[in-house]
Amino acid sequence: MTLGEFLSDRLVRITIQLLCVTAAALFLRATGTQAGVLAILLLALLLVFAAVQLSDFFRQRARLRELEAVLDGLDQKYLFAECAPPPKNLYERRLFDLTRRAGRAMTGAVSDAQASQREYREYVEQWVHEIKTPITAARLICRELDGDTRRKLTGELARIEEHVERALFYARAESPERDCVIRQTDLVEIVAQAVGNHRSLLIQSGVRVETEGLERSVYTDEKWAVFILGQLLQNAARYRGEEPVVTVSARSLGKQVQLTVADNGMGIPTHELPRVFGRGFTGSNGRARGGSTGMGLYLCKKLAGFLELGLEITSEEGRGTTVTLTFPAKEAL
Amino acid sequence: MLKIVIVEDDPIIREELALLLENEGYQAVAVTNFNNISQQIREAAPDLILLDLGLPGRDGISLCAEIRKTSRTPIIFVTSRDSAADELRALSLGGDDYITKPYNIPVLLARIRAVLRRAGGTAEPDVLEAGELALHLARGAASAGDKSVELTRNELKILAYLMGHMGQVVSRADLIEALWDSQIYIDDNTLSVNMTRLRAKLEGIGLPNIIKTRRGMGYQL
Repeated sequence: MTLGEFLSDRLVRITIQLLCVTAAALFLRATGTQAGVLAILLLALLLVFAAVQLSDFFRQRARLRELEAVLDGLDQKYLFAECAPPPKNLYERRLFDLTRRAGRAMTGAVSDAQASQREYREYVEQWVHEIKTPITAARLICRELDGDTRRKLTGELARIEEHVERALFYARAESPERDCVIRQTDLVEIVAQAVGNHRSLLIQSGVRVETEGLERSVYTDEKWAVFILGQLLQNAARYRGEEPVVTVSARSLGKQVQLTVADNGMGIPTHELPRVFGRGFTGSNGRARGGSTGMGLYLCKKLAGFLELGLEITSEEGRGTTVTLTFPAKEAL
Repeated sequence: MLKIVIVEDDPIIREELALLLENEGYQAVAVTNFNNISQQIREAAPDLILLDLGLPGRDGISLCAEIRKTSRTPIIFVTSRDSAADELRALSLGGDDYITKPYNIPVLLARIRAVLRRAGGTAEPDVLEAGELALHLARGAASAGDKSVELTRNELKILAYLMGHMGQVVSRADLIEALWDSQIYIDDNTLSVNMTRLRAKLEGIGLPNIIKTRRGMGYQL
């Protein structure tokens, strides 16, 4: 609040006061008060008026600054009315009461929403764990079938698992701090797990997996990194070309480590590249093939954000796609 | 025969897992009464325990701690919960390995073998035999009569798989699945190359055409 704003806000009041003073001066002059006395009287009055206005201005400004500082310091801004220093006059007290009532209603709505979101998340996690039992049973039963049927069914079960896995991580991404455990992890281990999780898809798609320079360790959450890498491998297998090869390689970049997943698949049209991390974006390849959810890369981006992983994608249509994960240096975490 | 106790509350998984393990040459004992599990395990005196962490009315981890009081039998946890915290807790309480559902069957079997090997029980026979052909797993060699030849890891695995499925037609896809490993990823071409080399080596020790090709179906020993 500037002095100008303050004065223009009080323009009417000040004008009326000045008019009253002028009227009184005219009246006094008409009834014979001496000009000198009148001048002293006017000067004194104006000084008092100005002093009152200025003191009002400084007090209000100080109060506003104090309240702003309180608000800035709050994580949950909607709790402002509860945390603000107590009001000093009647009018402010009433305003505070109103704000506080509004705030309480808001706090209630927010905590209801949070509770229902948490319950939903817990339900999804619970559901994911339960669904794994019948999937495991189905896998074991599949074993008794003959080769081709077994492979087809195992493949379908693997697809179910992929969807289940994405649902689980989607739920987890809502409150990542609960699951995220950053530890020193070997890249070899992360890659082996991700490849192992998708072995039936990779084998059936005839994808050759090549690895290079993975003997490095990184600081990250192993499960999340395995999930992200798994999504990339799935994409490589899904959008494969002739004689598909996926190369997973790593190199050090100062204190950071870069993991690159490169395929020789269909590639992504240049104009679609900026949108591939968008939620539900399927792209022309996804639409042409069907079965694309548009969630894989979106989740990757989201989880990578929490892990402070750099995630970049380059692609050339018809030549292949390269995704680079940059693991942060230990000191950065 | 090595004995494995299965502690799992889902009846279908329990039965199928028991069948699977028996097919793989283990003796499987399934716990069906979930009271006094640790006593039942003591009585069965197994070489390995597959322990589900999500048992009804009982926390698998406390059960593990209880078993550990009286026995050093290796324990592999099987669970559908896969948070890092669960895993750390389980392993810190004396579990030897930790597998999450839904597991890959080959992966499960490999983990079982690995834990058994670490525990000192040798699950597999060291030498596989098929007619004249003998396969020495430990030193990675095949022999027939007085001739012997060294095999690479992949060749060894191919031959072992075929010898384990004597007389059956084994498809290329089955072989690729069997050869897939946590570190080595085999594709169709690699399999062809390995198969050609393996046949040449077997021919060298006087066993030409011992691996027959069934066109469009696979291989047969």
